[in-house]
Amino acid sequence: MSRKQNDAFAGYAATINAAHVKYLRGIGADVIEAKVEGPYVFDDKGKRYIDGFCAAGIHNLGRRPQAMIDALSEAVAATDQGNFPMISREKAALAQALAEFVPGNLECSQFSVMRGECFDFACKLARGFTQKKTLVGVAGSWFGQTGFPLTLSEAPLKDKFAPLLPATKMLPWGDTDAVAREINADTAMVAVEPIQAESGARVVDADYLKALRRRCDQTGALLVFDETQSGLGRSGHRFAYEHAGVTPDVLIIGEALGGGVFPIAATIFTQRINEFMNSHPLIHLSTFGGSDIGCRVATRALSLYRETSPWDNAATMGDKLKTGIEKIAKKHKVIRSVSGAGLLLALNLGAKKRAESFCKHAANAGLLLRPGAAAGNFVLLRPSLTISAKDADDILQAIEKAAAAVG
Amino acid sequence: MAPEPSGQPGAMTHQEKAQVEATFGRYINKGQVKYLKAGHLDVMESDRLGIGFVDPLTGRHFIDAFSSAGCFNVGRHNPAVMQALSEALAESDLGTFDAVSPHKVALAQKLIDLAPDGLNRVLFGAGGGDVVDAAIKLARGATGRTEVVSTIKAYHGHTGFSLSANGKEHYRHYCEPLVPGFKFAPFNDLAAIEQLVSDQTAAVIVEPIQGEAGIFPGTDEFLHGLRELCDRSGALLIFDEIQTGFGRTGRLFACEHTGVTPDIMTVAKSIGGGIYPNAAMLYRDAKALVGFVERHPHFHPSSTGGSEIGCRVSLAVLEYIESNRLWENAEKQGARLKAALEELMHENPKIIKEVRGKGLMIGIEYIHEFMGPMMSDALAQNGLFAAYSGNAPQVMRFMVPIVVNDEEMDRVIEAIRSAVKTMKVLLPLALPAAKIPAVLKLLNDERAQTVLFGFVRRVEDGVSWLSRKVKGGQS
Repeated sequence: MSRKQNDAFAGYAATINAAHVKYLRGIGADVIEAKVEGPYVFDDKGKRYIDGFCAAGIHNLGRRPQAMIDALSEAVAATDQGNFPMISREKAALAQALAEFVPGNLECSQFSVMRGECFDFACKLARGFTQKKTLVGVAGSWFGQTGFPLTLSEAPLKDKFAPLLPATKMLPWGDTDAVAREINADTAMVAVEPIQAESGARVVDADYLKALRRRCDQTGALLVFDETQSGLGRSGHRFAYEHAGVTPDVLIIGEALGGGVFPIAATIFTQRINEFMNSHPLIHLSTFGGSDIGCRVATRALSLYRETSPWDNAATMGDKLKTGIEKIAKKHKVIRSVSGAGLLLALNLGAKKRAESFCKHAANAGLLLRPGAAAGNFVLLRPSLTISAKDADDILQAIEKAAAAVG
Repeated sequence: MAPEPSGQPGAMTHQEKAQVEATFGRYINKGQVKYLKAGHLDVMESDRLGIGFVDPLTGRHFIDAFSSAGCFNVGRHNPAVMQALSEALAESDLGTFDAVSPHKVALAQKLIDLAPDGLNRVLFGAGGGDVVDAAIKLARGATGRTEVVSTIKAYHGHTGFSLSANGKEHYRHYCEPLVPGFKFAPFNDLAAIEQLVSDQTAAVIVEPIQGEAGIFPGTDEFLHGLRELCDRSGALLIFDEIQTGFGRTGRLFACEHTGVTPDIMTVAKSIGGGIYPNAAMLYRDAKALVGFVERHPHFHPSSTGGSEIGCRVSLAVLEYIESNRLWENAEKQGARLKAALEELMHENPKIIKEVRGKGLMIGIEYIHEFMGPMMSDALAQNGLFAAYSGNAPQVMRFMVPIVVNDEEMDRVIEAIRSAVKTMKVLLPLALPAAKIPAVLKLLNDERAQTVLFGFVRRVEDGVSWLSRKVKGGQS
C-alpha cells in the first residue's frame, strides 16, 4: 500500500471512523478511487475494478459521464445555487422535464438534496393533504436515515434512537390480508419500494402493489413509491412501477437524478395533492434542494436518460447476469439464490459474515460490492447501467472466483 | 437550456418571465409564486457575482442581503471556489459515500483545525437537516437518554428529527405528531431550560444566534449557563451553526463570541460556497460519543454528504475564508451596518422597533408586520434584495456576503436609508388604517397579506404595463 493511501486510511480512522475502515478492509472495499471512468474504478496502483456498488445506485450512467461533467461545468459557469425560495427558470425547467419524463399523472415536484429528505417531505405532504396521521411502511424497507424514513425502515440500529415517530405501522411482507386490515380511514400514506434493494433486492409482487393501490383508493391514503434504487432504468424499466402497472400518488426519485455528479433528488406527485402545497407554500424548505446548478445538471441527466434509454441495456445485461449467476450457484452452493430485476440484483449468501467474505474475494477479483444494509446476508450487485457484455462476463468471472473462494 | 440572460434591461422580457412563473406555478407551486409576487420577492437572478446579482427584467443591480439564508459567505461565483470545482471536475464525481478518500480526510482535518478546540471528529451529511438529525441520533445513542430540549422559535430544518426540534408552529402544524421527547423553553431563558433538563435529557440544542426566528443572539450568560447545565446533568450540548458558521457573525463560529464549546456542532449552508451542497457534524472525542460511533460506524450514512466534488469545493471555501480572515471583515462591516441601522431606528421610532445581531447577521424588527413586505419592495427599488421572515414578516434579515467591502457597505446603508424614506412617505396612508384593530389584523395576517399585497401588486403591474404601452416600449 502506498504512503498516500496509508495516510488517507489513518486520517480517516482518526478524524471520521476507525471501525468503518476496519469494516471496509473486511469487505475488500478499502480502495482509494484514484480514477473513475464508466463502469470502472481504478486504485492508485492502477488496478481496475468494476464498480458493482455505484454508491447504492447513484452512478446509473457510469462514473464521470462526460456529458454530465460538461453539464455541471457549463451550469457553474452560468449560474450558482441561487436563493432557495425564489422562482427560477432552472427550477421550472427541471420540474417540467420531470413531469414529462415520469409516466402517469405525476407532474408536481419538490426538490431535495437527498433521498431521505424526499421521504421526510412525502410523509409531511401526506399528513398535510389527507389530514390523517398514520404512516404505513412495509417490512424490509430502507428509505433513509433522517427521522421519517428511519422510522419506516428496517434499520438494524433504529431502536438506539427511539422513540421515533408515532402513528406509524409496518405491514408484514407480502401479506395481502394485512393490507385490508392495517390500512384504514386513519391512514395518511403507504410507502413501499417496488424493489427492496437493501433487503436482498426483493421484488414486490405486482398483485401486492395492486392490492395496495386499491386499498389506498378505498381509504383515501396516498400511495408512495420510493424508486431511489429501482428508478431511472435500474430495474430494466424506466421505473419499476411501470412494469408492475401500478401508478403511485407520490414518487421518490433518488440521487441518480444528479447523473452522479451533483446531489439532487425529487419527490413527484399529482396536481390534486399539490393543492395542499399551493395553499401552504414554503412550509417545507430545502436550502440545497432546488439549487439552480443542480436543476440544470438534473435536466441534462434526464435528457441523457432519454437519449440513451439505459433501461434496455439494464434489462439485457441483468438477464445475462442473473442467468450466469444461477449457473454459478448450481456449482457453488454457497450462493443460495439470486433475486432482483434488471441491474439491481442480490446474491443470498445465507449469513452476514459469509456475505462480507464474498465481497472481499470479489474485490480481489476486481469487482467492488457491498452487503445489503437491511439484510446483511445478501450481497448486492448494482453496476452502472452502461456495462458491456464483456463487463458482464468479467463480473461473472469475479463472482465465480469469489464463490469458489468462500465456498 | 437557453443561455443565461445578460445583465441588460430587457434581457428577459415580461412575457418570458410570465412564462417561467406559469411553468413554476404548474409544476412546482402556484401558491409560492403568488406569495413571492405579493411580497415583491419575485425577482429572477442573473449575473450572479460578488455580493449580488442583476434582475434580467429591469437590468437593475441588486446587492444580495438574503444570501440564501447565509449560504453566500464567500460571495457569489467566487473565483477561488470556481477554480477548485473545475479542478475537481477533471478527476472526480460524487464518489462513493462510504469509501475512504484523501479529499474527505483533508476536509475533515481542515474542519477540525478551524473548529473550537475539542471538536475533533467529523461526520459528513448532505445538508443542514441531515446533520441535525445525525446530531440528535448521536445524542440519544451515546447517552441512552431520550429527551431533547430545544427553544421556542428555533429553526433546525425540515427532516424528521430537525423538524421535531423546530420551535415554530408554522412548520410543525400539518406534520404532527412529530418525534416524542422534545421540550421547548424560551430562548435566552436559562431558568426555563433548567426546569426542563433532567437525567433523561440526551441533549440541549440551540442556535448560538437564532436565525430564522429573527436574529436573536444568545447571551453570554445563557450560553455559559447551558454549558454548565449540560455538564451537570450529563446532557450533550448541540450548537446548530448552520447559519452562523464560517465567519458570518464576526467570528469563525458564533460560539467563539462566548468561548463556549458544544459537544456537537452542525455546519452546512456556506460550507458549499454557494455552489455545491455539503454539510458536517463535528463532535468532541469524548468517550461516550466516539464509543457510540465506533460501535455503530453506520449509524448515519449519507449517500451524497461528503462527496468527492463536495469535499474539494468545501476545502477551497474554508481555505478562502481562513486566508482572507473573512470573519474580521464581517465584524468590521457588521459594526458599520449595525451603527447605521441603530441611527435609523433612533430617527424613525415609528418604523423600526429593534436592531439585533452580530457581525453580518443583523436583523431589523419593524413596528408592524405589514412593514416587512413594504420594506422589501422599497429596498428592491433601491437595489437591495432583502427578505422578511415568512412567518414573522415584521422581521427582516440582513445577511450580505461577508466579502462586502467599504464602498459596497456604503451602498447597502444608503439603500436602507432611502427605503426608510420611502416608507415614511407611505406611512401616513398605512398607519391611520393600521390603527383600526380589524385593519391591523388584516394587514398583519399572512394570508390576507398575500391577497392584499397581491392585489396591490397587480394594480402596480397593470399601471407599469400601461405606461410601457403608452411609451411604446417592449412588453
